[in-house]
Amino acid sequence: MWMKKLHHSTRISAIVSRAFNSLDLTSSVSISTLHDSAIFSSPLSSLSLSRLRRRSAPTLLLSNLTSILSRENAIFFVKDESPFSSLSESSAKLYCWNCATEADDATPFLFCQACRSVQQVNQSIDYFQIFGLGRKYSIEDGELEKKYKDWQKILHPDLVHSKTQREREYAAEQSARVIDAYRTLADPLSRAIYIMKLEGMPVDEEERITGPELLAEIMELREAVDEAEDAQTLNQIQAELQEKLRNWSKSFEDAYLRKNFEDGLASIRRMTYYKRANEEIVKKL
Amino acid sequence: MLRHIATTSLGVRLRCSAAAGGSGLHRMYHERVVDHYDNPRNVGSFDKNDPNVGTGLVGAPACGDVMKLQIRVDEESGKIVDACFKTFGCGSAIASSSVATEWVKGKPMEEVLTIKNTEIAKHLSLPPVKLHCSMLAEDAIKAAVKDYEAKRSKPSATPLEAKAADA
Repeated sequence: MWMKKLHHSTRISAIVSRAFNSLDLTSSVSISTLHDSAIFSSPLSSLSLSRLRRRSAPTLLLSNLTSILSRENAIFFVKDESPFSSLSESSAKLYCWNCATEADDATPFLFCQACRSVQQVNQSIDYFQIFGLGRKYSIEDGELEKKYKDWQKILHPDLVHSKTQREREYAAEQSARVIDAYRTLADPLSRAIYIMKLEGMPVDEEERITGPELLAEIMELREAVDEAEDAQTLNQIQAELQEKLRNWSKSFEDAYLRKNFEDGLASIRRMTYYKRANEEIVKKL
Repeated sequence: MLRHIATTSLGVRLRCSAAAGGSGLHRMYHERVVDHYDNPRNVGSFDKNDPNVGTGLVGAPACGDVMKLQIRVDEESGKIVDACFKTFGCGSAIASSSVATEWVKGKPMEEVLTIKNTEIAKHLSLPPVKLHCSMLAEDAIKAAVKDYEAKRSKPSATPLEAKAADA
């Protein structure tokens, strides 16, 4: 998070000019500017562009720093971007398409605090960030609902009738994304799968296994569900299932905390099987 | 029991789409898949302790599918005389394993090992997203053969134990 520190501390332009004076350049440096391509198509584009140009001349965009700035040897590796290409959003500063105010880092940039306009969907803001949560598995009850409702009050397409066509489109996409985020995080299994995806260890959709113990257990379980005649039996099986789901959910949490992703994936496999069996029970009931 | 297998997730929806038939809606199941679903053949179980039975148990955890394919082998000829399956999963998985049991019957074991998932997929016109179901069926065949071979090579301890208990 040194990037944040950099932006909030001394004006970058001041640092850069100091650094340049004493720089021992061993690699090429290029100054690139931030562009949200949306800026150019807005009616205010010329205004915001000129404002940007004045601001960006001394402003350095740092995509890959290898060391923190120091007077003696600051080495800047900066992507040489043409004005119209989009930068990796994780390192880019975001600006409102409407009023060109810079996004503050306190809240996820789904809408602009200054002019209250809905922003374009930014895929690099992950679901946890949307809800202001850290990337952890356990979530308190009610944490999600409140934030979800708050967001929908701002983003829901039904509430933006008075706004421009463009903003209404943004609102539709943003609110759809928030709904996705809410659904994914609300269910423990999908939350676990999403976390694995964020960590770069996505669940393999086409994986096939032959482990006899797990498969025999699942086979028996599914057969029991299939053969159950009355609601009482089904409810009993369901109760056992819920218990197992809770246990393996806990096991995923432990595995994740220990960064043991293999165990995490194993827990996910089991939870998926139990979940499917549960769905079958629900259908029968 | 047989009907029960047929009334899993697809059930009513499948019948509707089967009725609509070849109206050009590509997202429906191919009629062969529907056929295997509506008229399941070879659903059942053999005694897995029977020395002439090989059991293949495979699964696709991401979908929550589990597939069991069993073969009964004639000792002398090495041919598969009977086969049955039990699959919990999507229609494509059920159909793939059903086709597999049909194709292994009457064939020698070495030959069934050459059955490829692509043939099953082609027979059922499986869409790309369901190709792994046919892979699962191929895996199941191989696992069943492997199980039978393993049983054959390892002398069974059970009859000896029974004799010792009797004595």
